[in-house]
Amino acid sequence: MKKPDVKIVLLGDMNVGKTSLLHRYMERRFQDTVSTVGGAFYLKQWRSYNISIWDTAGREQFHGLGSMYCRGAAAIILTYDVNHLQSLLELEDRFLGLTDTASTDCLFAIVGNKVDLSEDQEKDEVSSEQASSSCVSTKVPKQVKLEDAVALYKKILKYKMLDEKDVPAAEKMCFETSAKTGYNVDHLFETLFDMVVPVILRQRAEGPPQTVDISDYKQPKQAKSGCCA
Amino acid sequence: MSIKAFTLVSAVERELLMGDKDRINIECVECCGKNLYVGTNDCFVYHFLLEEKSLPTGTATFTATKQLHRHLGFKKPVSELRAASALNRLLVLCDNSITLVNMKNLEPIPTGARIKGAVTFALNENPVSGDPFCVEVCIISVKRRTIQMFMVYEDRVQIVKEVSTPEQPFAVAVDGHFLCLALTTQYIILNYNTGLSQDLFPYCSEEKRPIVKRIGRQEFLLAGPGGLGMFATVAGISQRAPVHWSENVIGAAICFPYVIALDDEFITVHSMLDQQQKQTLPFKEGHILQDFEGRVVVATSKGVYILVPLPLEKQIQDLLASHRVEEALVLAKGARRNIPKEKFQVMYRRILQQAGFIQFAQLQFLEAKELFRSGQLDVRELISLYPFLLPTSSSFTRSHPPLHEYADLNQLTQGDQEKMAQCKRFLMSYLNEVRGTDGPNGYKEDIDTALLKLYAETNQDSLLDLLVTENFCLLTDSAAWLEKHKKYFALGLLYHYNNQDAAALQLWVNIVNGDIHDSTRSDLYEYVVDFLTYCLDQELVWKYADWVLQKSEEVGVQVFTKRPVDEQQNSFNTDDVINCLKKYPKALVSYLEHLVIDRRLQKEAYHTHLALLYLEEVLQQRPSANGKGAEAATTQAKLRSLLQKSDLYRVHLLIDKIQGTGLHMESAILHGKLEEHDKALHILVHELKDFSAAKDYCLWSSEGRDHPYRQRLFHMLLTIYLSAGPSDCELVVATVDLLNHHATEFDAAQVLQLLPDTWSVQLLCPFLMGAMRHSIHTKRMTQVALGLAKSENVIYRCDKMKLKGNSVWLSDKKLCQMCQNPFCEPVFVRYPNGGLVHTHCAASRHTNPNSPSPGNRT
Ligand SMILES: Nc1nc2c(ncn2[C@@H]2O[C@H](COP(=O)(O)OP(=O)(O)OP(=O)(O)O)[C@@H](O)[C@H]2O)c(=O)[nH]1
Ligand SMILES: [Mg+2]
Repeated sequence: MKKPDVKIVLLGDMNVGKTSLLHRYMERRFQDTVSTVGGAFYLKQWRSYNISIWDTAGREQFHGLGSMYCRGAAAIILTYDVNHLQSLLELEDRFLGLTDTASTDCLFAIVGNKVDLSEDQEKDEVSSEQASSSCVSTKVPKQVKLEDAVALYKKILKYKMLDEKDVPAAEKMCFETSAKTGYNVDHLFETLFDMVVPVILRQRAEGPPQTVDISDYKQPKQAKSGCCA
Repeated sequence: MSIKAFTLVSAVERELLMGDKDRINIECVECCGKNLYVGTNDCFVYHFLLEEKSLPTGTATFTATKQLHRHLGFKKPVSELRAASALNRLLVLCDNSITLVNMKNLEPIPTGARIKGAVTFALNENPVSGDPFCVEVCIISVKRRTIQMFMVYEDRVQIVKEVSTPEQPFAVAVDGHFLCLALTTQYIILNYNTGLSQDLFPYCSEEKRPIVKRIGRQEFLLAGPGGLGMFATVAGISQRAPVHWSENVIGAAICFPYVIALDDEFITVHSMLDQQQKQTLPFKEGHILQDFEGRVVVATSKGVYILVPLPLEKQIQDLLASHRVEEALVLAKGARRNIPKEKFQVMYRRILQQAGFIQFAQLQFLEAKELFRSGQLDVRELISLYPFLLPTSSSFTRSHPPLHEYADLNQLTQGDQEKMAQCKRFLMSYLNEVRGTDGPNGYKEDIDTALLKLYAETNQDSLLDLLVTENFCLLTDSAAWLEKHKKYFALGLLYHYNNQDAAALQLWVNIVNGDIHDSTRSDLYEYVVDFLTYCLDQELVWKYADWVLQKSEEVGVQVFTKRPVDEQQNSFNTDDVINCLKKYPKALVSYLEHLVIDRRLQKEAYHTHLALLYLEEVLQQRPSANGKGAEAATTQAKLRSLLQKSDLYRVHLLIDKIQGTGLHMESAILHGKLEEHDKALHILVHELKDFSAAKDYCLWSSEGRDHPYRQRLFHMLLTIYLSAGPSDCELVVATVDLLNHHATEFDAAQVLQLLPDTWSVQLLCPFLMGAMRHSIHTKRMTQVALGLAKSENVIYRCDKMKLKGNSVWLSDKKLCQMCQNPFCEPVFVRYPNGGLVHTHCAASRHTNPNSPSPGNRT
C-alpha cells in the first residue's frame, strides 16, 4: 500500500452527493450510489504526490467517526445540496465541530452540489454536457445561493480564529458543482490539490509525515455549541 | 464477488472434551505452535497436540490428541488462556486471578506467583522491555477505572504501572506503550508511559460488546457503529477504509490479507485490500474467534474448529478463472510481504501474464500490453495464438499449465473478422515495441518472422522497413509466406538480406518485365539500376547490363558510371565496359565522359574516342540545326571544352576529321594544341572574325605558362591585327581595344615601335597610362627589394663580427667539460654556450647517449 502524503476529507449530510462527486472525479462517471457505510477512501496520484481522499458517511449513525477521519487532514470539503437549505445549516451545526482534529493549517472548501437540478444557474456556468438535459421541466429555483456559502466560509474562519488575510479568499473556496454533469468537479479537486502541495512540502521539510504527536492533545472544543455568535 | 479463501475444518470434537457431559462448555482457547489449550466452565484446562495433514485434494485436516487435562482448583470457569512459550508458562485467568502454570504438565508454579484482581488481560505483542524472558501483561482491574501493567517472569510477577481511565474500560489491546481501550462511551488510545490519551470515536460498550484487536504494528481493529470494523492507528488515524460486518458481530481475527469476523450465524471474510466481503461461511453458535500466529481458530461452546486458508496462489487462480483481474492483482500484490521474494516474483509474473491474456481476450489491448510487459511475457506465448505465425522451425511450446484457455485466435474471436484484425494490429505494434528493447524476450527470429508475416498479410509498408534494416526473419518460412501473399519485391529484399542477390534480381527483373505482378514500387527499374550500381558481384552486373541498357541507355549506364569510387578502381575493366557499350552510343558517351571528366583518366584512347564521338554528334546534328539548337550547342560546348582542357587526344587525327567542316573555333583550338598559335589566331581573326574569342584564346592558351609566353601570344595577335593595314576599320578598333584593355600583357616599348605613327596619343591613352604605371611600379618594387637585400646583408655581417669578437683562453687549468681532463693540444670544440671539450669527447658524445651533455651544464 502506498503511503499517502496528505489527506483530504469530504464531509456533509447524507444524500448531498459526496460519494457521487468523488466517483465522478476518480472514475469519470456518474452512477447510482448507495448511502455510504462508515467511509471509503481513494488514493489519487497528483504529480509526484499521493493524496488520500476520504469519503465519509453522512448518516447520523456514523457521525462519531468524523473526528477520527478528519484527524490530521490538510483540507476538508464541506458539501451541501444547493436545493436543500437544511444541508447547508447542518454543515455548521453538525459537521464543523468534527474538523477540530484536522491539522492547524487545514484548508476549507464549501461545495454546493447538484446545481444541475436548479434553474437559475448563470448562463456561462452551464456545462455543455448538461445543456440539453431532459430534466429541464423539473428544475426548481436554487434554495441556497453562493453568497450563503461565502457567509458560512467567513463564519468558519471566525470559529477557527483565522484571519481572512491568512487564508484563501472565500470566493476561491466556495464551489458549485454537479456530480451528474461533471460541472466544476475537476476544478474543485484540482484547485485543492494544488493548494495542499505546499503543505506536503512543508511536512516533508519538517520531518516524518503521518505521525501525530499525541502529546499535542488538547481537550476537544465543545463542538455542539457551534459558532453561532 | 465471492471467493473461497478459507475452509472450515474440525480440530477438537466434542467427545474428546466432555464425552456426553452436556453442561460442560468451552470458555476459551489458546493455540501455540502445535499446542492447543482449551479452558472450560468447570475449571479444567485441556492440552492437545495438533497434527496437520494435507489431503490429496490439497485441503488440510487436523487431528488433535489429548495430552492431559487438569482441574485448577476453583469453582469458577476458566475465562482466558494465554501461552508465553519463551517462559514455558500458560497464563490462566480464572476467578479474577491470573495464575501461571507449566505449559507442559499444567502444574501451577511452585512460587505461586499470580496477578490478582483482573477482569480481563492482554499480552503486549510489541514489548517495550526488550527482555526475552519476560512478557508484558496489561489487565483491566476489578478496581473501577483502573488499568495495570505487569512484567511476568518465569516464576514471579511485578507490577510496573497503574493508570486510571476517564471511564470504565471494557476491552484492551496493547502495542508498545500504547493501550487501545474500549471505554463506556468511546474508544481511546492511551499512552501508559506518558498518560496522554487520544479519542478515537464514540461507541457504547454497555450496549454492544466492543472489539479491540491489535492487527499489526501500531494498528488496531475496532468494532464500530453500524457493524463497522474500523481501523485505527495509535496516532488516532484511520489508514484503511472500514469493513462492513453485521450488527451483531462477536469477534474478529486477522489472517492477511483478510479480516475475519464472527456473528451468531456466520463467519465472514473481508479483504483488507479492497474492503470487499469475499466469503461467508455458515457457522452457528460460535462464540470464540481468535488468530494465533496466523492460525485462525473458531469455537462453539462444544467444539473447536480451524479456518484453513487456501493457498493464496489457488485463490488468485480462482479469481483469474472467473476473469476478476483487478482483484487477483490486488490480492497478489498484497501477498508480497508473506511470500519469499524469489517465489513471489515467479508467481506474480505468471499472474500478470495470465491477467494480460484475460484483458487481451476482451480486446483491452492497452491493459494487456502493460500486463504482458510487466509480467515479462515470453512473446512467443502471444504469437502462438495466431495461427501460422511462429516459424515451423521454432522450438517453442506453450507453458504448462497454460496461461489462458484459448487454442488460437479463431477460437478467441469466434471468427469475427473485425476482432481478428484488431488483434493483429495489436500484435504488430506490440512486437514492434518488443523488438526495440533488448529485454529477456530475445527470440529474435520468431518475433521478426511473425512481424514479417503480419505485415505482408495486412499490406503494411513497414514490411519493407523491416527487410531493409537489421532483422532476423527466417528465410524459408518468410519466403514461402511472401510468395503466398505475392510480395515479390519484398521477397527480393529478403533474398538480398540473405545474400542471394541473384535470386533477388531475377524476381525484380521479372516484375519490371511484367512476368509477375507486384506494384510495390513504380520505379522498380531505377531501383534495380541503383541496386546493380552498388552490387559487388560483377557477374550479376554483367548479366543484367544489357537488360538495363536496353530499357534506357542514359539510366542504365549508371551501373558503370555511378559505382562507388573505391570499388571501381580495382574491379571493372574499362575496356570491357566500353566494349559492352558499343551498341549503346549514348551510354558510351556517358561512360567516356565519366572516365575522362569525372575520373580524369589520362589515357589517350579515351580522350580521342570521346572527342571523336562528340565531333560525330556535332556533325550529325548540324544539318538539322534548327530543330535541335540547344542540344547541338551543348554537345559543341562539350567538344570545345574537351579539346581545350585535355592534352591527351590525338590532335592530328582530329584536325584531319575537322578539315572542311567549318568548325573554325574547334580547329583554332586544335592548332593551338600544336603550338600553332599563329594559325589558330589567324582562323579566329580572319575566318571567324571573333576578336573577343581571339583575345580569350590568348588568355586560356597561356594559362599556367610564364609571362613571356603570354606576352608572345598577345604580340602575335597584335601583329595579325596590324598586318591587315589601316584600311580595315574593324581591325583597328580591335587593336585599340586590345591594347587599352590588356596594357600589362604587352611590352610597351615593342608595341610603340609597331604602331603606325599616325595614331594619336589620345587614342591609346589607357594603354600608355597602364604601361607607364606598370613600368614605374616595377621600378619601385625593384628598389624596395634591393634595399631589403642590403639590410639583410648588414645583419649577417654584424652577427659574424660578434662571433669572431671574443677570444678563447685555453690553459692548463681548463678542463674538458665532458671527461674533466686538461687539454693537451690546442685543438678543442666550443659549444655555443661557451663550454669547451676535447674534439674526441665531442665526437663520442654523439655515439654515447649516456655521457653528460656539456650543453646542459653551466
Ligand atoms: N441530479 C443530481 N443528483 C445527484 C448529484 N450528486 C448526487 N446525486 C444523487 O444524490 C443521491 C445521493 O448521492 P450520494 O453521492 O450517495 O450522496 P452522499 O453524500 O455520498 O450520501 P451518504 O453517503 O449517505 O453520506 C444519489 O441518488 C445520487 O444519484 C448531482 O450532482 N446531481
Ligand atoms: Mg456517500
